Amino acid sequence: MGNIFNIKLTGPPEKTIPGDDMAKLLIVEDEESLRDLYAEELEESGFEVSRASNGKEAIDLVRKKDFDLVIMDIRMPEMDGIETLGKVISLERKIPVIIYTAYSNYKSNFMTWTADAYLTKSSNLDELKSKINELIVTV
Amino acid sequence: MNRFRGNNANLRKIIYWMIKIFIPNVLLAVYIIGLLMITENLGRTTYIMLIAGMLFYFVTRLYFYYYKIGFFLWNNLKNLRQVVDEFKKGKFVLNETQIKQTDDISNVMKELLTVGKQFDSIVSSQSDELKKYHEIYSHIICSINSYFIVIDSRDRILYANEAFCKKFGIDSKNINGKGLNSIFYFVNTRLKIGISHVLGDHSPDAVVLKNVHLMSINRKSMIADLKISGMTVNGEEQAVIIIDDITDRFSKDYHASILSHLSETMRDEKETDSIFYNILVGVTSGSGLGFNRAMLFIAEDDLLAGRMAVGPDSFEEAIEIWNSLSSSDVDTVTAFPGDIKKGKLLEKVKSFSFSLAKENIFVAAFRDMERIHVRNAQSDQRVDDEIKKLMEVDEFIIMPLISLNRSIGLIVADNRYNMTGISNQSIDLLSVFSFQAAFLIESYLNLVEVKKEMKRLEERQEAIVESEKMAAVGRIASHIAHEIRNPLVTMGGYAKRILKHAAEGEIDAKKVSKSADIILKESERLEKTLSNVMDFTKPSKYIQEFNDINHIIRDTYTLLKNVLFERNLKIRMDLDENLPAVKSDFNQMKQVFLNLFQNAIDATPERGRIEIITGFDDSWVTITVRDSGTGITADNPDIIFEPFFTTKITGVGLGLANVKKIIKDHSGKIKALNRPEGGAEFLIKLPIPAAEQKQKDDEKKLN
Repeated sequence: MGNIFNIKLTGPPEKTIPGDDMAKLLIVEDEESLRDLYAEELEESGFEVSRASNGKEAIDLVRKKDFDLVIMDIRMPEMDGIETLGKVISLERKIPVIIYTAYSNYKSNFMTWTADAYLTKSSNLDELKSKINELIVTV
Repeated sequence: MNRFRGNNANLRKIIYWMIKIFIPNVLLAVYIIGLLMITENLGRTTYIMLIAGMLFYFVTRLYFYYYKIGFFLWNNLKNLRQVVDEFKKGKFVLNETQIKQTDDISNVMKELLTVGKQFDSIVSSQSDELKKYHEIYSHIICSINSYFIVIDSRDRILYANEAFCKKFGIDSKNINGKGLNSIFYFVNTRLKIGISHVLGDHSPDAVVLKNVHLMSINRKSMIADLKISGMTVNGEEQAVIIIDDITDRFSKDYHASILSHLSETMRDEKETDSIFYNILVGVTSGSGLGFNRAMLFIAEDDLLAGRMAVGPDSFEEAIEIWNSLSSSDVDTVTAFPGDIKKGKLLEKVKSFSFSLAKENIFVAAFRDMERIHVRNAQSDQRVDDEIKKLMEVDEFIIMPLISLNRSIGLIVADNRYNMTGISNQSIDLLSVFSFQAAFLIESYLNLVEVKKEMKRLEERQEAIVESEKMAAVGRIASHIAHEIRNPLVTMGGYAKRILKHAAEGEIDAKKVSKSADIILKESERLEKTLSNVMDFTKPSKYIQEFNDINHIIRDTYTLLKNVLFERNLKIRMDLDENLPAVKSDFNQMKQVFLNLFQNAIDATPERGRIEIITGFDDSWVTITVRDSGTGITADNPDIIFEPFFTTKITGVGLGLANVKKIIKDHSGKIKALNRPEGGAEFLIKLPIPAAEQKQKDDEKKLN
């Protein structure tokens, strides 16, 4: 009796990270000073960081380069974070995405549920860093 | 007939008595004396002669006696003949004529007998005819619906027709000589005045009184049209009062007027109780014309509950009502009921309710949708104690209120105070009235329900609007939070970097100054945001003067000329030179156009096109700003006027919100829409002040 569901979970392709190889991050943020701040901080924490100022640039970069993780703002010109998120998750290769925004109310918006994490912007980047580490390890 | 008069008659009588008594007696005496003197000795012959003389005397007396009768008839014979002759011709005139002694009396007698016989037959045939007519007339009088009475000048009844006696319950044999006071419970003042007008003032015309309230001694009420006319019989003034009973017609009219009055006023904010009260007053037709008491029960869910009652609480009160009715003019009878009379009965009925699952006579009438006429409540098995206690009478009628083939309630009515039975006629009247009343109540209750539902919807709508407002507040708050958090994060982040570098002892002056620069820039941004918010919320004081909108537009244009040139935008201005002046604040208006133009410039790509058009109609000046830019991406174009809505990288999204606020403060309207050919269009309407106001303001300016 009852139904039997067969669910096959296919994980992302195995990726070998060489010991020296740094995890590659992409920061998508329209405000230059903030973008620079994140990039500098994360580079100092031992990540290889690329920068994009809006969704369009981000998609272009993601297609060219294998990123380990994307950190993304929501309100951006040209293509906003939610649209970009949709494009990123529809890529063949699964890349974890952290929504990092000054808005706290988008957390309840189901469009952001497909992101791996939703963090509210803070001048203290410790929370962000620990989330990055957590997500990169599991991948 | 006797023609002998005075001395002549006396002489006649003396002669008659002389002839009748004296002469025969003298003759008899002379004969006897003569006979005795002639004869010397009394022999046989003498006795025979004496006896023969006596016999002669008696015969002569007898003859004279006969002659005496004949004498009178004979005397009048001529007259008698003439009378008979005249009588034959149909005349009764007597002529004095000389008596002819030769006439034979027996012939006259014979003729007289014949005439007498003829006369007899004429009289009897005429009395038959009279009897026939009498019968016909009395039949007519009895069969007419109208009641009529004849009264004398002392208000005593001389005649009353059968219908009247029956209607007012008076024995027709004993009615003669009764006063009006002993027939009517109250003698209506109008009737009194009418009678005195006819009898006292000898008015030749009949007095007609409409809608007079009459009440018999046994409290039978009636509304009647009266016709009072005078006549003179044997020198005595009499008045004929014809009474036309219009109670039924009046009741029907009353019902109809109550119903139409109710249906007309139903849409007004009227209390349910008032509607119910009016309907029951209709059942009692004012007070006392219909039923004495009426009660209304309405079904609610599975309960039958008493809702309203009309009628006196006591006999004294009933008398008082009738008294006032009969003495007052008719207008109080036809007037619509006023305030609800609160009394014991109403209290009792209102506290009376029972389940429809219960088995009693009320429920039976309600369920079967059939009227029930209870004639003897005490012995009626169907009437339970509760109802007996409520009604306190033996006879009452239960009439279901049926609307659209279902019962919605009951009307219960009785004649508690005038102690007369409930007639079939009044039940029929009530039945018709109930049918219409039920329809009215049903539609009224529906109306109430609809109104209630509408109110609920309105409340819900208000709640929705309220929650929408709250959502807007939330949205605005979140925008503000965003505007503040971004610079704060940036500032905090850079400050931390400086601290970190300082802690590590590697202070790079260049890096520090860059961080400090960013911190400074961000703090400036914060300040700007804050002042923008403050600007937006602070109450504005406008200078209100008459401005030419075209002038403001041109002024603003010169400010933006360079930007337009730089971005290679084409601008087209189509300004109506006859544009009326608008009462406005010059600087605030300039701000509006600056914001709008800036918005259009920002949205329009290079080599785009911007159009500014002004125009006016009777009451509005219109300004249209069009661009060939990206248009408004939001689903509802008006959302762009919400504070902190922005699609721009720079700016906090207060520009258009400010525009809207200013326009609103000028009693104007603003609307944003997407043009079908691409780009956005902003339409502003500003009111043109009334001409006299402008004149007044101009005068003020001159002074």
